Order: sequence, then C-alpha cells, then structure tokens
Amino acid sequence: MRFEESRIKNALVVKVLESRIVADVAPQFKEGLVTYVRDGNKNIVLDLSDVTFIDSSGLGALIGSLKAVRKDGELVLCGARDAVVNMLKLTRMDKVFQIFSTPEEAASALS
Amino acid sequence: MLLHTQGHEVIEAADGELAWRLVEQGQISFVVSDWMMPNLAGVDLCRRIRAAEFENYVYVILCTSKGAKADLIEGMDAGADDFVVKPISPEELRVKVRAGGRVLSLQQGLSEKNRELGRINAQLHSAHTLVEEDLKAAAWMQQRLLPLLTQQAHGVRCAWRLQPCGYIAGDIFNLFPLDESEVGFYLLDVSGHGVPAAMMSVTLSVLLTPDATHGSPLKRYDASTGRSLVLSPDEVVRELNRRFQSKDDRYFTILYGVFDIRSSRLRFAQAGHPCPILIRDGQEPVILGEGGMPVGLWPEIEFDCFEVSVRPHDRILLYSDGVTECVSRSGDAFGEERLLRYLWEQQPMPLEELLTGLFTEVTAWHGNSDFADDISLLAIEITDEGLHCESTEQMATKQQEYKRRKMDAI
Repeated sequence: MRFEESRIKNALVVKVLESRIVADVAPQFKEGLVTYVRDGNKNIVLDLSDVTFIDSSGLGALIGSLKAVRKDGELVLCGARDAVVNMLKLTRMDKVFQIFSTPEEAASALS
Repeated sequence: MLLHTQGHEVIEAADGELAWRLVEQGQISFVVSDWMMPNLAGVDLCRRIRAAEFENYVYVILCTSKGAKADLIEGMDAGADDFVVKPISPEELRVKVRAGGRVLSLQQGLSEKNRELGRINAQLHSAHTLVEEDLKAAAWMQQRLLPLLTQQAHGVRCAWRLQPCGYIAGDIFNLFPLDESEVGFYLLDVSGHGVPAAMMSVTLSVLLTPDATHGSPLKRYDASTGRSLVLSPDEVVRELNRRFQSKDDRYFTILYGVFDIRSSRLRFAQAGHPCPILIRDGQEPVILGEGGMPVGLWPEIEFDCFEVSVRPHDRILLYSDGVTECVSRSGDAFGEERLLRYLWEQQPMPLEELLTGLFTEVTAWHGNSDFADDISLLAIEITDEGLHCESTEQMATKQQEYKRRKMDAI
C-alpha cells in the first residue's frame, strides 16, 4: 500500500497511490492510516483521486480507520471519483464521512 | 595402500565383471578403475554404473595409460567423473580422491535435503487435502441452506444462482413463508472472503428463519394474543444490527423483503446492499430503493423501509455486488447499466432462463467463472396466485403514489 504525504495548514494530506482498495491491501491500508494517527496526526485528509474501486473489505478498512482516528481527531475524504462516491452513497457513508472535492477545501474545513 | 592410509575402506576386484558385481550391491560410493581390464573394460563398467541409477551417486575415476583426448571424451561420455594418467602419481590420486569425496558429501547432503523436502511436501499435501475436504463439506452444508430450486410460497416463486469465489461463499439468500399470507426473502453479502465470511453467512442463514421458537429476529412474540407477529423489514434489519456489532471491520449488507399476498405489496429494507430491480412486462426495468448503511458498523442507526405494489408476472431481482463489480479482462466493471440492459432485452424469458442467461453473460464478460467475489442472484416472481382482488386502477394509483414518494425522497 503506497501513500504520498503532504501538509496543508494543520492537516496531513495522505494520497492513496493505489487504484484499488480491495481485500489483499485493506489491512495495510488501515495499518498505514492508524500509524499516522499514532504518530500524532489528528487531522487527516485522505485523497482518493487515484482510487477507482473500493470493495467491501476496503470499505471496512476505511470505516475502521475512521473509527480509530475519531477517538482523537478527524478523517475526511477528498477527490473521490464517481464510482467511489456512488458506493459511499449506496452505503450511506456520505453521511458518515465529510467528502470534499480538493485537498485544500478539505484542509480548510479541518482547520 | 595409498587409499587405505587416507581413511577409506578399499575393496579390490580382479577384473571389470567382478567389480560390477560389487558395485551392483549398492554399497560402493567410489570407484577407481583401470581402463583396460579383462572381461569388462573400465569405460563399460562406468556405463553400467550410470545406467543403474543408484540411489546414491557413485563417483568414478578412470585410470588410463594413454591420456589421449579421444579416450577422455569417451570416458566422460560414459559418465566418468575424473581421470588419472598412468603411471599414477600418489599425490595426484590423493587429491583427486579427496575432490571426489567432497562432491560425494555435497551430493549426500543434497539427497538428505531432498528426502526431507519430500517428507514435508507429503505432509503439506495431506494437510491441504484435509483442508480441501473440510471446505467441500462446508460448501455442501452451505448449499443445503439455500432455497429449493423451485421454492414458492403465497403467490411468490423464486429462481437463483450462487457462484462462490472459493469453495464457500460470504453471500447467502433464502425465501420462506412467514405466516399464512406473508413471504420473507433476503440476499446478504458478508464483507471479506473465505472461511470467516462464510461462517458468518451460515450463522445468519440459520438465524434468519421464521421459526419463532428460536427467537427469530423476523418475528415478535405477542404474549397477549399468544401469536408471533411478522416484523417489518426495517425492524428486522435494526435487530440484526443490534445483534451483530463487530469488533473487527467486518459487516454485512442485506436486502430483506416481505411480500404480503393480501395487499400485493412488497416491503424492503436495504442495508448497504445494491438496489433491487423491478422487472415488469413491457416496461424498462426500474431500480428500487435509495441505499442504506450496512449492518454491524454502528449500533444505534435507523434503517428505512420502502414499499412497492406488484402484480402477477412482476419480477424482482436481488443480486450481490459481485455481479456488477465483476471485471472484464481489460478491467471494466460489468456495471448496473449493462445489467439493466440485459434485463430489458431478455425480459420475456422464463425466470430460470433469465437468470441462467444473466449468469452466462457475466461469465462471458469476465472471461471465465473464476470470479474475484461471490456472484449471487435471487429473482422473485409474483405468480397468478399472487393476483389480489385489487383493481388495476387501485394498483395504478398506488404505483403513482409510490413514484411520487420516490421523487419526494430524491
């Protein structure tokens, strides 16, 4: 699971560099995000602009990460493509996650 | 004498034939042989040794007086490992025997490792066979939980297909009468794959029966009347969500429907599951429902219920996301649009054929039936028995009402 990190204001922007968040990468995906939290990052923007597909295990890992982050911070999403947005809507996760179009908008909402 | 002093046990043979009889017994690992011998020449002895394919390697040094290139080639071709030229220099023979010894000891180590690998391989094979047998047995048990191929009740009949991505599936579905006029049916998909997902799907299948004696989540016992009441789909899903809060990231999506033959109404609760599709003669298939959260993620969430009036020959397709997310070789998903188009074009087909055709279509799209996710299809058809006294006008009004509510919801 590869991520690219950058910083906007006081948020850590984590861009997912994989096109598919599916069963075989889901555990590393969550582990990676939880590590950012453990390292003291409270505001995390997850940039999904390269992600074309999230399966049920991937969604489970995303929700598990959100639960872990929310103990002491916030995780928001940005750049989600149509297929990902549709899946988030079908599962009503658009009510659980804050979803923004750009990392800048997401970071501003967190500051 | 020379070899004795090097610590080797030396057995002498007077000629080639006698030497072969000794080697044949399989105890000799090293042969130093003259080329020219009565009865059997050294090079022929060498050939016999190689042809015999002893379990342990036999190292062969041929002694030649000629040292001619042609002889060396013939000797090597016969399988000789090394040569000494007469008159034999004790020093040369000593180092060549020592070199041969090293080769033999390496070879011996290698055969021991090979034997060990063979043993481990056999163990793995038997362990794998055991796991495979267990999985086959589990798959058989899971199959027994599915509805009969011709299952029907109270004006509803069904057809289905289930293709697990391994032996056992995280998808499961069923259809059953709930009381004298209502039929319940569901299709669910546990997140993840393999044994944990399948165990969960089997647990849910056993739980989701109308048998109230086991505290069915589908009904509520009313002590005042002594009767069990059929719960509405949203209440059922809420109860499942209360019971199945997981500590890992596991959850399941479900579509649970109840058909009431008295009112010709279908009520659905949709929890994270793909929307059902209504297929009606001569009309474009319609996607029903608006989504909903999956079960098992948060304890205190509400689930909606939506309803639709149906008439005989109407069909409802429930499916798992393995269908629409199934990708072609070039990586394109089968998708909802292709599914709708298939249903629209093929809708006159009998129910079973419609599903078989759809499964064939998805398999062709993928290129084979080795899918990355379980593929499940459950189609419900309202039979003529499901024709209620309600007039067509009443039905049309209800349909409009439903459409308006749907529009309002959007």
